[in-house]
Amino acid sequence: MASSGGGLSVESSSSSSPSLLRAPSRTVTLGRIQPQAPTYRTVFCNDRDSNLPVRFKGNSISTTKYNVFTFLPKGLFEQFRRIANIYFLGISCLSMTPISPVNPITNVAPLSMVLLVSLIKEAFEDWKRFQNDMSINNSTVEILQDQLWVPIPWRKVQVGDIIKINKDGFFPADILFLSSTNPDGICYVETANLDGETNLKIRKALERTWDYLLPEKASEFKGEIQCEQPNNSLYTFTGNLIVENQTLPLSPDQLLLRGCSLRNTEYIVGAVIFTGHETKVMMNAMNIPSKRSTLEKKLDKLIITIFCVLFTMCLIGATGCAIVTDRDHEYLGLHKLDWEYRNRMTIAFFTFFTLITLFSTIIPISLYVSIEMIKFIQSTQFINRDLHMYHSETDTPASARTSNLNEELGQVEYIFSDKTGTLTRNLMEFFKCSIGGISYGCGITEIERGIAQRDGLKIQEEQRSAGAIREKGFNFDDPRLMRGGWRNEPNPDLCKEFFRCLAICHTVLPEGDESPEKILYQAASPDEAALVTAAKNFGFFFYRRTPTMVYVRESHTEQMGKIQDVSYEILNVLEFNSTRKRQSVVCRFPDGRLVLYCKGADTVIFERLADGMDDVRKVTREHLEHFGSSGLRTLCLAYKDLNPEAYDSWNEKFVQAKSALRDREKKLDEVAELIEKDLILIGSTAIEDKLQEGVPTCIETLSRAGIKIWVLTGDKMETAINIAYACNLINNEMKQFIISSETDAIREAEERGDQVEIARVIKEEVNKELKKSLEEAQQYLHTVAGPKLALVIDGKCLMYALDPTLRVTLLSLSLNCTSVVCCRVSPLQKAQVTRLVRKGAKKITLSIGDGANDVSMIQAAHVGVGISGMEGMQAVMASDFAIAQFRFLTDLLLVHGRWSYLRICKVVMYFFYKNLTFTLTQFWFTFRTGFSGQRFYDDWFQSLYNVFFTALPVIVLGLFEKDVSASLSKRYPELYREGIRNSFFKWRVVAVWASSAVYQSLVCYLFVTASAFDGKNSSGKIFGLWDVSTMVFTCLVIAVNLRILLMSNSITRWHHITVVGSILAWLVFAFAYCGIMTPRTRNENVYFVIYVLMSTFYFYFTLLLVPVVALLADFIYQGVERWFFTYDYQIVQEIHRHEPDSRHTDQLEIANELSPEEARSYAISQLPRELSKHTGFAFDSPGYESFFASQLGIYAPQKAWDVARRASMRSRPRAPKAPKKK
Amino acid sequence: MSTNTASSSAGSGDPSTARKNSKRPKYSKFTQQELPACKPILTPGWVISTFLIVSVVFIPLGVISLFASQDVVEIVDRYDNDCIPAPARTNKVAFIQGASPKACNRTLTVTKRMKQPIYVYYQLENFYQNHRRYVKSRSDSQLRSPKYENQISACKPEDDAGGQPIVPCGLIAWSLFNDTYTLSRNNTPLAVNKKGIAWKSDKEHKFGNRVFPKNFQKGNLTGGATLKSDIPLSEQEDLIVWMRTAALPTFRKLYGKIETDLENGDTIHVTLQNNYNTYSFSGKKKLVLSTTSWLGGKNDFLGIAYLTVGGICFFLALAFTIMYLVKPRRLGDPSYLSWNRNPGGR
Repeated sequence: MASSGGGLSVESSSSSSPSLLRAPSRTVTLGRIQPQAPTYRTVFCNDRDSNLPVRFKGNSISTTKYNVFTFLPKGLFEQFRRIANIYFLGISCLSMTPISPVNPITNVAPLSMVLLVSLIKEAFEDWKRFQNDMSINNSTVEILQDQLWVPIPWRKVQVGDIIKINKDGFFPADILFLSSTNPDGICYVETANLDGETNLKIRKALERTWDYLLPEKASEFKGEIQCEQPNNSLYTFTGNLIVENQTLPLSPDQLLLRGCSLRNTEYIVGAVIFTGHETKVMMNAMNIPSKRSTLEKKLDKLIITIFCVLFTMCLIGATGCAIVTDRDHEYLGLHKLDWEYRNRMTIAFFTFFTLITLFSTIIPISLYVSIEMIKFIQSTQFINRDLHMYHSETDTPASARTSNLNEELGQVEYIFSDKTGTLTRNLMEFFKCSIGGISYGCGITEIERGIAQRDGLKIQEEQRSAGAIREKGFNFDDPRLMRGGWRNEPNPDLCKEFFRCLAICHTVLPEGDESPEKILYQAASPDEAALVTAAKNFGFFFYRRTPTMVYVRESHTEQMGKIQDVSYEILNVLEFNSTRKRQSVVCRFPDGRLVLYCKGADTVIFERLADGMDDVRKVTREHLEHFGSSGLRTLCLAYKDLNPEAYDSWNEKFVQAKSALRDREKKLDEVAELIEKDLILIGSTAIEDKLQEGVPTCIETLSRAGIKIWVLTGDKMETAINIAYACNLINNEMKQFIISSETDAIREAEERGDQVEIARVIKEEVNKELKKSLEEAQQYLHTVAGPKLALVIDGKCLMYALDPTLRVTLLSLSLNCTSVVCCRVSPLQKAQVTRLVRKGAKKITLSIGDGANDVSMIQAAHVGVGISGMEGMQAVMASDFAIAQFRFLTDLLLVHGRWSYLRICKVVMYFFYKNLTFTLTQFWFTFRTGFSGQRFYDDWFQSLYNVFFTALPVIVLGLFEKDVSASLSKRYPELYREGIRNSFFKWRVVAVWASSAVYQSLVCYLFVTASAFDGKNSSGKIFGLWDVSTMVFTCLVIAVNLRILLMSNSITRWHHITVVGSILAWLVFAFAYCGIMTPRTRNENVYFVIYVLMSTFYFYFTLLLVPVVALLADFIYQGVERWFFTYDYQIVQEIHRHEPDSRHTDQLEIANELSPEEARSYAISQLPRELSKHTGFAFDSPGYESFFASQLGIYAPQKAWDVARRASMRSRPRAPKAPKKK
Repeated sequence: MSTNTASSSAGSGDPSTARKNSKRPKYSKFTQQELPACKPILTPGWVISTFLIVSVVFIPLGVISLFASQDVVEIVDRYDNDCIPAPARTNKVAFIQGASPKACNRTLTVTKRMKQPIYVYYQLENFYQNHRRYVKSRSDSQLRSPKYENQISACKPEDDAGGQPIVPCGLIAWSLFNDTYTLSRNNTPLAVNKKGIAWKSDKEHKFGNRVFPKNFQKGNLTGGATLKSDIPLSEQEDLIVWMRTAALPTFRKLYGKIETDLENGDTIHVTLQNNYNTYSFSGKKKLVLSTTSWLGGKNDFLGIAYLTVGGICFFLALAFTIMYLVKPRRLGDPSYLSWNRNPGGR
């Protein structure tokens, strides 16, 4: 029974499906491809005892980083991977040695504080992951136990279990599909979680197992599965099922993957093969590569600079010490001892380390942890809870999946966007049409609205006439056509043909109840469904299809309300493909009339029209252009009456061609040409590829912000261009460079079929095109008012253009373009393009997408954004931020990103400044101590300076700083450019802060020491070292804390509380600390110091003088800068200085002032009049040959027609079906 | 596959069940970043008035401090050089370490009436009392209580003498200043009160009244002054003053108080014992007689600083006013926005 070792080879199963042989090389895996274990696994179905010895892994998953035991060691290890923490660990060790001038506590206290906070954060995040895992592990599924379906939690599912999954349920593990409620062992699976594709996939069980459906029967099932070891290749699977000594080969068709869900099937039964972490989706689960923001990388440079400064300071000190130290100072007791004072070299050497310990405060140890905390709150509290980014329809708030990249959002220069699901809703709606030269439909598209808005005109929200029909796929209103109104139109017969063409010429499959309300159309593409739905609403209700007939319920007869069922015999279907760009149906009316209906691209239809229709042709063309530039997808409809004899002779040829064994496709195309001529133009349809809400506005805002948007899509070029128009990325005023592989030269080469030759030709063509375009582009750039440029390139050309030799040309061309559209690109190419810009142009990139095909792109970019709220999770799982709608990018980038950038910059600068100021006072003091490295401040003062006395205000700054309000950020997107230019984190800015630090430290140090020289109260007593240092420290704490207020653009009460609180905290601490008197240890140095100080007038006079003088320079600088070197945001602040800060007043809302007619005529008048090329033809090729599937060659693309036919036959006997959801 | 954990934590205490299942974030001013805030804009008005306020406050304060400082009368006399007999000046160190008599007479003239109390200071220069080795060379617990007599680890190299702990140990105590001054006016001795020259907190809490000097200055090298071994440390005010180490290498220490007024023109004779060796490192020694004001001794720094800053602010207020008049910019003029200045350019 069991085949020997290598018995289960690839051949055994691949022989059944030859396509598998090629497959693995082109498999799309989401992560790295893992080498397969050479062995195979054997699973005994429905037999837990037999499976026991193998010890398959359980089905519970865990994505946590730590457990209770590993938390401390692993967590600490993670923390010490940070250079700053290592540094402080070293310093702490150093401070335990006698060469240290400071108590170890000085360095240990802040370090442990920082570690503690970081560890708590880690623990919290891991806890959240744990809870998430638990909720997944505890969701229930039904498994077979003692002939009954028993619900158990997912985590208890074991390999070999027979389980039942109900409609819309998720598969808890990788399952071998055994049987389904559908008659021929078929089930529909939605794989959106895996690859983002929302169209349903068909899975088919082996015929042998179809019967194991009911629990009684299923419990009899005793099969043995031999299959490959767990691996991460999503689209391959090989194995055998051995039932009753019969070996049946298994293919991916029988495998249901964890993470997918069951659709349109009541329930299925299957056997578990892979569980938990061994499922394909989990093996694909990538460790999200932790991205670090660009700012943080720059921060590293700053830290290195600080290290250099530290080094220099220590070197100066060490040299000074070597020179100055001198045995003549007998009171220092150098004469006696200490080998380290033997000669100047050793003195310098040891002093160097002493000083490093002393000046260690120059490295802002709490910087990282503070930034982390700030970013954490920013992402969890601000981004995740922003009501402006909450999508109520899908109940999805925004979610920052990492808090590392908040400030990166403020510097994005390039956005790479997926199309379907991101820019568009993948929802086609019949929107307008043109019949016999008359344009119908009074809707206004987003793009028209956008154009109108840009010109400052106000458009009234369209007032639909009462009772206008609005359903999925139909968004059309025009009383001239609706409710039979078309009968009064000038050409009712043509209208009739129009509707008939819509109702007959398609490959749609009706499902469910045969009533207009309940019927469901299963279409290969949503366009088709929209057209058929339109026909239904016009009164031509297509309700049933058999392999040869189409049934339409027509209500066009002369008497109103008379309804008539008409059956059309479908004689031939001339299928759609991308070269033909049209689809035709030959049908016979009940009265014997033979008609060919055709729909397709305007270019191909117009070529094939009969003569003498110039007027209609011209008008229709105008309409098409209008539709096209409004972002609508157009199709031309035409028909032709056939004469029976001619048809018969043609049909013979057709049948011949159809049965040809060689070049069948080509021959079919040729035959079709023979009949598809002399057509009569009916009109055209215009379908709105429904954009996500607010996309054009968002894109416009973003481009004003200096962000360039590239669309990378798997769609065809026409569709892509169409969407680019609809999104306002391309318009007719732009100069477009189109690099397409659909040129004659390339096609010719392809026909010859030699792969090497094809590659060479394409490469040459691409090279030529690129060079030409670049030259042209540069010419335009030199002219002043040249047009904006746009580049459109398709995947095949891109493949060659990304070649190292051409890459530079491509990059320089595309960087000159305002918008770039890449169509027909594979996920890999998406990532390549992203990387090209990221690495090649060193710009900050953001990728946004919703499906698994966007994963690589999302990970390749600096910032990955996933569209959440849809079923697909893969993109979201790989992303750094998840938002529900494309338009939320405005908020995410312009508001949150910009603020975060601004805040983090300020926080970093402030940290740099406050530590430098503090350390420099210490440094100046070193000069007056004979470079001995004597500490100036008490140990505790020094260690608490960073973590206590100056910690909170800067966090408040990092949370609440706002230069302009959110609504102004969106109203003046140009402000965002300051982030792109990185205006707030430049060396110039660092220099300004550094000089401020030098100045303030000098003021604090010199002023206090100079004034504290002689008797300092009326009793003539003298201050000692610690009195002076405490005075300096007090001034420093006040000055540094007040500096926060000076640099804040928005001061909340939290600023006041923390700033005043910090200063008070210092005073309170000083009171307590200086007063502490324990018998054992006391702080002798500073004992009572603060009280002594405060008993003098001197204290108060200095306290007023020093901070004011210290801050004066910054104040002057800011005053001058604001007036003479003004930043944009400052102007905006000034413009709106009297307005209350509120986000509620949404600036984008525009009042209604135009009537719909006016609005429409305005929109039309705004559209370019000259004959432009774009007419908006875009017809998605049927979803079954979705781009990937056809590339993979695994699910051999079933022709839409075949599927439809088969399905229609199947649905016949099962008439009493429960109405389907959706 | 989603969880409600986030919303349950957010919506705690929210009774409405309808909202419980919704992931809609709850409105709060904090999360929507709408906290009320004041948005200061540094308009010229603010800048100028700030400068004016600072100058208005600072100039009077400067004047007051300067007056206070001017009231103080101070007599400074550097004697380190002069108190070495001329023949010995070639090798001062040998002289100071030798056994020859160190007495020295100085005459000071009072140029302005000095009201009592008059403080007698000694001033040392180039003496690093803030050197790292020096500052830490003391044992605070030993000073405080006889119990900790043996805590001398920090005191090296002056920690013990022949195995016996030195009290007070360490370099600071060891190098106690030992010049003495005897003052007389017109041949009548002027009493110098050596009590009450240390801060009360030092006397009461840092130096124990049961701690007596032991083995002090018994090592092979004698540093500075010796201490009477029958007086507890808390009464040894010279030591207490000395041990509050100075911040900078130039410092003054209080020696004593004269509690009689000195009249203008009085001549004061000082007989001093020039014992302390600052010659090996060329440290200066000065004797200072000074009165004090409420603000302390004679130090013009604060006054000058206040006046200067006040003056500068006034000047800046003027300068800014002129600048704004010469190069005006309308507040909030959109034409200054960078994208409006050069349209088309990115």
